[in-house]
Amino acid sequence: MSVLDKIKGIEGVNVKVQRDNRIFVDVKEDKLISVLYVLKNIGFNQLSLLSAVDRINEEQFEVFYVLYSNREKVNCIVRTYIPRDNPKLVTAAIIYPPAHAYEREIAEMFGIKVEGNADAGKPFILENFKGDVPPLRKDFNSMKYVNAHFQPFRHHDEVELEAKDE
Amino acid sequence: MDKMTEEQYRAISNMLRKRSLWMLHYCTGCGAMELPPTMTSRYDMERFGIVPYVTPRQADILLVTGYVNVKTLKRIITVYEQMLDPKYVIGFGSCAINGGIYYDSYSVINRLDAYIPVDVYIAGCMPRPEAIITMFKHLMNLIDSGKADGYKRYKQNYEFYKNNQRKVLG
Ligand code: SF4
Repeated sequence: MSVLDKIKGIEGVNVKVQRDNRIFVDVKEDKLISVLYVLKNIGFNQLSLLSAVDRINEEQFEVFYVLYSNREKVNCIVRTYIPRDNPKLVTAAIIYPPAHAYEREIAEMFGIKVEGNADAGKPFILENFKGDVPPLRKDFNSMKYVNAHFQPFRHHDEVELEAKDE
Repeated sequence: MDKMTEEQYRAISNMLRKRSLWMLHYCTGCGAMELPPTMTSRYDMERFGIVPYVTPRQADILLVTGYVNVKTLKRIITVYEQMLDPKYVIGFGSCAINGGIYYDSYSVINRLDAYIPVDVYIAGCMPRPEAIITMFKHLMNLIDSGKADGYKRYKQNYEFYKNNQRKVLG
């Protein structure tokens, strides 16, 4: 039985084959952990990437897990969609330990709450970030943040001139 | 020393300084890729007496390549303040000049010389080794004529720079 057949046999998944070695699997958020568990048993032993995309028009976050099977040389991308207001996710760190760091990253960059990961939500990469919206959300206004916090450059001569004018 | 000899002393020390520049390269930006060919046999910058060096205490030049984000700015300031006078800063690539392609990034500061004084800029994304060598010759001329005075400006406008730094680093 090929690995594709095995994936198709999992309950509650929507499989799309893009190439021979690139399989997309869409699952509901509540089935996510069990599907990941089955995939790991099928032979997807490595989590290459876990990240998110802000689909602001559909009012949801797309969270995707890129899995790789060393035996079959196949990538499997598991995608799930969670609502944009009050985004919540269950940790996959029990199945794939590297997910721990990735979850901390998406918690910081997208403001997604990760249940079961005690470190998600603690400061991770950003230093001195003063905005109130997480920076990788689409409604974060980057230009406004830059103008407010990294002041447009003024030469010290200009500053002195302004001080004299006052 | 009377005034005349002091001027002479300064001219001689400037002349000597420009011939042995030790460089500390702070390579966090992608433009740092152009430095290895500049350092090695193809363009060989040791011809000009410029040697890459490892610690800030022994270096004369701080070369900041490319984008500086909030995190690295803190380290750059620490490194800059550890260096001994006279010290020169080079802003390398358009990111150090005005933010380059990261002008609207939430983590990349826009202009390096709002935070530390920069003596020479090299434009380009990324600058070619020829541009780097031209810049070194330009810097030597500036040192020779006493115009590379970034470290003095830093002391004179200390409040200005510190205020800018505080605004970003909190
Ligand atoms: S100026 Fe260009 S090459 Fe240099 S750091 Fe910026 S993007 Fe990279």
